[in-house]
Amino acid sequence: MNAQKTTVPNLAPVVTIKLAATSDEMLQCFALRAAVFMGEQQCPYDEEFDGNDYTATHIIMYVDGEPAGTMRLRWFQSFCKFERCVVLRRFRGLGIHHEINAWCKEFARRKGYTKAYIHLQKRHLAMMEKEGFRRVDDRTFNFSDHEYYAIYCELKPPEDAVTMTTMPMVVNRPEDRLHEEGVLEKSASRGATNPHVSTERRPN
Amino acid sequence: MNNTPRSIDGEAVTTRLAMRMEDSLQAFAVRAATFIGELDVPYSEEFDGHDFAATHIVAYVGNEPAGAVRVRWFQSFAMPERLAVIQRFRGHNIGQLLLERCRALAESRGCNTLYTQSLPADVKYWEKQGWRRLVAEEASPGPKRIVAMVRAVDPNKPLPEMAAEEAIVLRREAQLDAAGLPVGTVTN
Repeated sequence: MNAQKTTVPNLAPVVTIKLAATSDEMLQCFALRAAVFMGEQQCPYDEEFDGNDYTATHIIMYVDGEPAGTMRLRWFQSFCKFERCVVLRRFRGLGIHHEINAWCKEFARRKGYTKAYIHLQKRHLAMMEKEGFRRVDDRTFNFSDHEYYAIYCELKPPEDAVTMTTMPMVVNRPEDRLHEEGVLEKSASRGATNPHVSTERRPN
Repeated sequence: MNNTPRSIDGEAVTTRLAMRMEDSLQAFAVRAATFIGELDVPYSEEFDGHDFAATHIVAYVGNEPAGAVRVRWFQSFAMPERLAVIQRFRGHNIGQLLLERCRALAESRGCNTLYTQSLPADVKYWEKQGWRRLVAEEASPGPKRIVAMVRAVDPNKPLPEMAAEEAIVLRREAQLDAAGLPVGTVTN
């Protein structure tokens, strides 16, 4: 038999995940949440934008350059809370929420967290169990018209998790690129000229 | 035809110009819920680069953002667009209230003409709000994706008839690049 080699064009969508680091990227996160929670699930604005957005870390996911998903992370002493996870309707069914979960787990691990914690709509339990999450206890509770379980997952901290003994300038890097030199390390080449010393205070 | 709502279930219905970051965010959230969430419009089409050169008006039911519209300003007309009302607040003429606020704002700025581009399915809605087709007869047959609509800011001063081609009144606006110029016009 003469096997013919054909080149199959790579049609897999390009998925990019990053820390929302600019106002535009934050707006994309907020717009996706509004689309899904307010548009599809009839959540009131005040419940969706609950006052915690400016104490949190936002993650944005693109599919072929188009904003497609987001997650909000909040940092407590003993765990990282994953919340407001969204995949836009037309990007569902590709399994890309697994990618955003995995990205966020890695992100939290690198910051030294050993537990990810989620308030999960009951209907999604089986899906999240496959990702290693289990219920904290048997409580159920409800808010914004849905029933929830508290679930968590252990994260194994990597050897290079950030601690107080990590190189100081590594701690200053953009948090989703701790392995790359950051803008402040480049600034170190300017030396410590202490420019404030020559600045006169304007008299009142 | 002043049947605009003053309250829904005891909650006051109000409109206000977006003047703070949070107000604009509310306008964007209402549009995202409606256009991206319900109608599957891509983010990059909904947030098209004109939002920070426009005026946003938000409608509230009590404290809850319930509707929004964006107005862009041109030398010869004001252009209300991106009119959205959250699903559960529809049927209370909130859209009409928002458009009236646009009209009053245009009037206060000495503008005579309101212009918008409507989907064919929405033409009846705009006509009910006192708008008419800019070009009375469709120039060419076949399915149209958008229809140019106009309304006089002062109903006592009707607009003159226009004889322009559809190709002119519906000219597609260019996407802007980082320099604020139409994409492709700067070559260096």
